[in-house]
Amino acid sequence: MDKYNDVSPFVIIKSDVTRRSFIYTDRALGALDKSKHQYQQRVLIGSNRDKNAAVPVSLLLRDGTSIIGMPSKTAKNPYVVDQIDGKLVLTDQGEIVEEVHYWYKPDYYDKFTSSGTPMWQVASSRPQRLDIDPNSHCHFWNKGNGCKFCNINANSTQSEKECNMSKQLTAQDVYETVKEALKQPGAFTNLKMSSGSILSGAEIFDDEVDMYIEMLQAAGDNFKDKKFPSTIVASAFSEKQLAKLYENTGLMTYTSDIEIPNEALFAWICKGKHEEVGYAEWKRRIIRAVDIFGAGNVSSGIVGGCEMAQPHGFTNEDDALKAVLEEAEDFASQGVSVVHCVWVPMHGSAFHNQQNPSLEYYVRLAKGLSDLRKKYLLNVDMDNYRKCGNHPDTDLDRGNLD
Amino acid sequence: MKLMSILNERIQTLLQDSVAAKVLATADKQGIPHIVSDPTITVNDEGQIIYLELIETSRSNVNLVNSIWFKRKVAIHLSKGEESYQIKGYPAYSVICGPVFEHYYKLSLERNPEFDLSTVWIIEPDEIMDDTYAARKNKERDVHPLITHLDRLAK
Ligand code: SF4
Repeated sequence: MDKYNDVSPFVIIKSDVTRRSFIYTDRALGALDKSKHQYQQRVLIGSNRDKNAAVPVSLLLRDGTSIIGMPSKTAKNPYVVDQIDGKLVLTDQGEIVEEVHYWYKPDYYDKFTSSGTPMWQVASSRPQRLDIDPNSHCHFWNKGNGCKFCNINANSTQSEKECNMSKQLTAQDVYETVKEALKQPGAFTNLKMSSGSILSGAEIFDDEVDMYIEMLQAAGDNFKDKKFPSTIVASAFSEKQLAKLYENTGLMTYTSDIEIPNEALFAWICKGKHEEVGYAEWKRRIIRAVDIFGAGNVSSGIVGGCEMAQPHGFTNEDDALKAVLEEAEDFASQGVSVVHCVWVPMHGSAFHNQQNPSLEYYVRLAKGLSDLRKKYLLNVDMDNYRKCGNHPDTDLDRGNLD
Repeated sequence: MKLMSILNERIQTLLQDSVAAKVLATADKQGIPHIVSDPTITVNDEGQIIYLELIETSRSNVNLVNSIWFKRKVAIHLSKGEESYQIKGYPAYSVICGPVFEHYYKLSLERNPEFDLSTVWIIEPDEIMDDTYAARKNKERDVHPLITHLDRLAK
């Protein structure tokens, strides 16, 4: 990676650890303190916890960069988290790569709402973001057309069975949990909500919009001002739906994921989204959201590397990167930040047997997306390193001054 | 009790002295320097320097980010009365969450309710220079005895 000596080495490590995955030694797991660290959390995609052991939910590097992920027992060439000389470290082939820390547990985590719901099942905590996912079921899977990289319904069904975690939250639980979370000074800088797509309603997604309004209002009742730093990662809503959301809630920013920034691959990988809305319309709606939220306050996530899934994806990394960055530039030139996560062919997803691209691909992708924001003067405060922490490209933005 | 650090007892005491002058110097990617004066710069129990950044998007913070990423040194000037020191070191941790962050977040709030702490920077000291005129001049005289004005040597 010497030729990328202008890219943060922490971001390079993060990308590689995510793409190759990692495991823990028993020593490292022994360093987890259940009273201090997070070992279970409510997430939409991925895994909520390990049912056999207390395993840290994610990692933090020295510079504040997060590595989001659970260990993989089936990874072929994983990094190893170990404890050496009293410090937790990432190792690769026995060599120490970097120091790591486990994510701390916020004060509200072990408390219960008045209805008896554990608060950690209502809101999870990224380093500085309160994550509330009020609905962990995606309707696209009802017809078998969920996105091929996604395991949302498999994950939420398993969590419901194993620890009685409800797929849907109540507004009262959300209100009480946010109230409790805000008692901890300095713990959070943003509130994010996300949900599986809800297709029902007079117009497609009307019920999803109403669900967000109810939940955001419940959360918002805890703030002095109507608007507060907040985002949703949601379906692509119409202008009318977006206006209704904006006017009736404290929401300040909006994300809808285009996932695979290529129409033909979107139609294959995100079949449900393509059949119900279509790539062009999904994209148009995201861009129109800029009229309401403002340039830089709308982003769209892509599953970085998934454009190389086979048999229909790109077979050459240069071609794939060129196509992705060209489409991302079209978004950026219209005020939308494209942000990527590292595609992990996850257990429970249709793509679990696939292979993600090279580390170099991810370094170029992160740098390319970050450079686009520089070119189009978009800041990424809504989704920066300390809020979401799942995007190598937005981690890079903190090294630039506007 | 202080643990192993290259900072001696006197310098650590000065770093904890709120009346001492403390200045942090960083450089951007092009090497352009930037300084901030901040009397709250202090030292922790491990003998590491603590700098509390209140502005996430400040020039200092961005320079510190690049320093921790690319292993570039920063400098701290410390002085009180006749005493003056320059400490150079590497930003080792950018603490943005967790108990250490929250400790300093509350401390900042006590200092000023308007303060909204962004980052606790932990700087590992690597070199120390006595920065008084006498110390610097004596060192120069030792190494470069030819550098002086002759009138000073006249009978
Ligand atoms: S829209 Fe796709 S990525 Fe989002 S929850 Fe549904 S299946 Fe998963």
